[in-house]
Amino acid sequence: MSVNAMPPCQAACPIRTDVRGYVYAISKGDVSEAIRIIREVNPFPSVCGRICTRACESACRRGQIDEPIAIASLKRFASDETMEQKDVFKTGPYYTEKVAIVGGGPSGLTAAHDLALLGYNVVVYEAHDELGGMMTRGVPEYRLPKNVVMNDIERILSLGVEARTNTALGKDITVDELMKEYQAVFIALGSEKSMFPKCKGIELPGVITAVEFLKQVSRGQRPYLGQKVVIIGGGHTALDAARTCIRLGSPDVTVLYRRTINEMPAGRIEVEEAESEGVKFRYLSAPLEFIGRGRIEKIRCTEMRFVADESRRRRLVPVEDSEFEIMADAVILAIGYNPRTDDIKDIEKISGKRGTIVVKDDTGTTNLKGVFAGGDVVSGPMSVIDAIASGKRAAIAIHRYLRSLPPKENEEPTVLRPLDEKIIPLIEKRPQQKMAQLTVEERIKSFKEVNLGFTWEQAISEAQRCLNCGAGAEISDDCVRCLNCVRVCPYNVPVASDDKPKIDISQCQACGICASECPALAIDMKLETREQSMNKLQHAIDAVKNITDNASEIEFYCHYKKAVKPETEISKGISIGKPCVARIDISQFIKPFEEGCTKVKILACKDRECHFKECGNWLNKHVNEAKKILEESGLDPEQLTIVYD
Amino acid sequence: MVIAEIKSLKDIKKMIENFKRVLIVGCGECVSVCLTGGQKQVELLSSALRISSRNNKEKRILKGKTISRQCEPKYLENIKKDIEESDAVLSMACGAGVQALSEKFRKIPVFPAMNTKFIGVSDEEGNFIEMCAACGDCILSLTGGICPVTRCPKGLLNGPCGGSKNGKCEANPETPCAWLLIYERMKELDKIDDLKNINSPKDWSKNMRPGKLKAGI
Repeated sequence: MSVNAMPPCQAACPIRTDVRGYVYAISKGDVSEAIRIIREVNPFPSVCGRICTRACESACRRGQIDEPIAIASLKRFASDETMEQKDVFKTGPYYTEKVAIVGGGPSGLTAAHDLALLGYNVVVYEAHDELGGMMTRGVPEYRLPKNVVMNDIERILSLGVEARTNTALGKDITVDELMKEYQAVFIALGSEKSMFPKCKGIELPGVITAVEFLKQVSRGQRPYLGQKVVIIGGGHTALDAARTCIRLGSPDVTVLYRRTINEMPAGRIEVEEAESEGVKFRYLSAPLEFIGRGRIEKIRCTEMRFVADESRRRRLVPVEDSEFEIMADAVILAIGYNPRTDDIKDIEKISGKRGTIVVKDDTGTTNLKGVFAGGDVVSGPMSVIDAIASGKRAAIAIHRYLRSLPPKENEEPTVLRPLDEKIIPLIEKRPQQKMAQLTVEERIKSFKEVNLGFTWEQAISEAQRCLNCGAGAEISDDCVRCLNCVRVCPYNVPVASDDKPKIDISQCQACGICASECPALAIDMKLETREQSMNKLQHAIDAVKNITDNASEIEFYCHYKKAVKPETEISKGISIGKPCVARIDISQFIKPFEEGCTKVKILACKDRECHFKECGNWLNKHVNEAKKILEESGLDPEQLTIVYD
Repeated sequence: MVIAEIKSLKDIKKMIENFKRVLIVGCGECVSVCLTGGQKQVELLSSALRISSRNNKEKRILKGKTISRQCEPKYLENIKKDIEESDAVLSMACGAGVQALSEKFRKIPVFPAMNTKFIGVSDEEGNFIEMCAACGDCILSLTGGICPVTRCPKGLLNGPCGGSKNGKCEANPETPCAWLLIYERMKELDKIDDLKNINSPKDWSKNMRPGKLKAGI
């Protein structure tokens, strides 16, 4: 497998975020670097840090050992901690072409962001009076506070993106008009038109849609729907509506869902959170009729069950004679959404089923020259990260269209294989950090954010759980085939072959022992290369010389043991953090003495074996060999010490 | 494979004490594999010498280079420029490499940083054991693939002697008796009767020094 194989987290991410990179940066306490890496591909870190569907976490190989890394929570941490950093890299515009984006949700704004960075003039048209789409109008504040979304949006606008709100396609502007003024148009209208169940009584007052309800709440209104509220549906919006009702004071809130919790798009954690707030769930139940005199009073329902049809696919059917009634002062419909494109005349040529827009491929190219489309208006309701991904693909496609470049070929990355069974027991178990939440009492009284974010200690500790998949050892052509790496690896990963030994990058734990023991210096670690490592050391030596001539002490400490903020010891430059001190080779211990340093101290773990297997023994070996060299060179070997604490 | 070990720093320092610009040259073959003279050791020796020069207030410039194979004159070309900029060379190769270097660059003093020990193999645990004395007249076909010339301290061609005790040698109780090893191996090979033959005295004329091999090219 290629040494450049992609970690599964990155491969699972629709926008291929360098998760390993930013998690490693957080593990060192470097949030600025973390947010830089995140923002390279994602203009909505505050949003994704809170409401992403987290395909990365499902793919995380730490899950084979205990629990996956809490990746989204770490992204939120990086974004929360850098909220005040307003430095924006403004590039253009380089080009004269103008691009119109129709729709100010995650897809449109991402395309605007990427196109602005590519050097185009970008104008975003938004039908509502506020940008953000479902991020600001749909998801309630207790899950996604509006101010953090607006913070991400402000950064996008500060790139020079112009926003024209209260301007709806089909009403205030047409595609034809836009194409006269702009060289390309990206349509990302979203998918906000509610679907209705085929039931009688749907027109009764008191039967409302979740989108409308949540929109009202997002505008600061606080409608009280009554004692008993029933929500029909099982997606995120259904749960958002239910939990919002609780916050608005309705004491009896029930979610009615046709299928079971296992099929629920909202996911188990969200269901548990809703239950703890008092939301009731009734699974395998569907409405048949909404009943009331002049206003909704009750719902006639049926129980549902799964049956296997001829093709063995499970089908949902009503259970005979299982009808029942639920009393309701209000009903909120949240069974699905379609794009609202009915009254937009000039996109008829590219309209598909249920109001969607038809695109030729995943770049969003349509049959209309210069017109691109993406996000939910193409796919129907998807997650925010999918919308962001489609905005990114469209930006690239528009750029290539405007520059007359051939379409970009999709490259499927090689992905690291799962951990081998024999490696798993050799890796230290470490439970996932749990984020603090508001108590249920506090939650149901307000729209304050439920999840409170990681503390510094938690974030660093969580980031340190990362296995740094694929950032391990690489053997160069300087290899002399001594097979020392085969002998020293604590995880038995390298194997002898007719040529150079082979190190399976899927299994390497990046402990660095082989590199420190290689007689030809032919092994380098991607996690921290020899060059990076030596540069860090030289930086520290130079810093110590600048501070004073007398107290010239260099200190190595283990990242895995000491979680420090960047503004403390590191900034002084004389303290060097390492992803385990056992990986430091002897030359680094003695180099400071070459330049006149008087003391080198290594802060090591008390239990001598912490993050990596056998690390204590290797540290001792390296230090003892270095001491011997110091003694032979005429220095006191005690100038090099290990301090355990 | 040639096995060599680094001389003591004291000995090395003495050799270069009168030279200011010293080039340390490692070898990417045997001495790298036996972990004593590769690029890593070149850097460590350079470091150690820099520290002691600093201690002794000597002004010395140390530079390190490792080449693929020091006993091949063509590879030595690669360090010509570095040699020209130096006053002395410390070779971290085996004795052959040191001599190849000094033959190639005749105007510069070349010193050995290593003691060349023997021809040996790895025991898979990071130890190297002498296996061949390069006697020029191999008798391994008679002794089950175990060399008594090298592995018996007395070099007996017909053994064991009376000093073999509990499988160990009287010369060094940690050394297994080579002839006992041969006996056991011949048993495994079902050739134990061959040991009844008396090996004739060795023709040491084939070990005439210096050795020379004319390759068929």
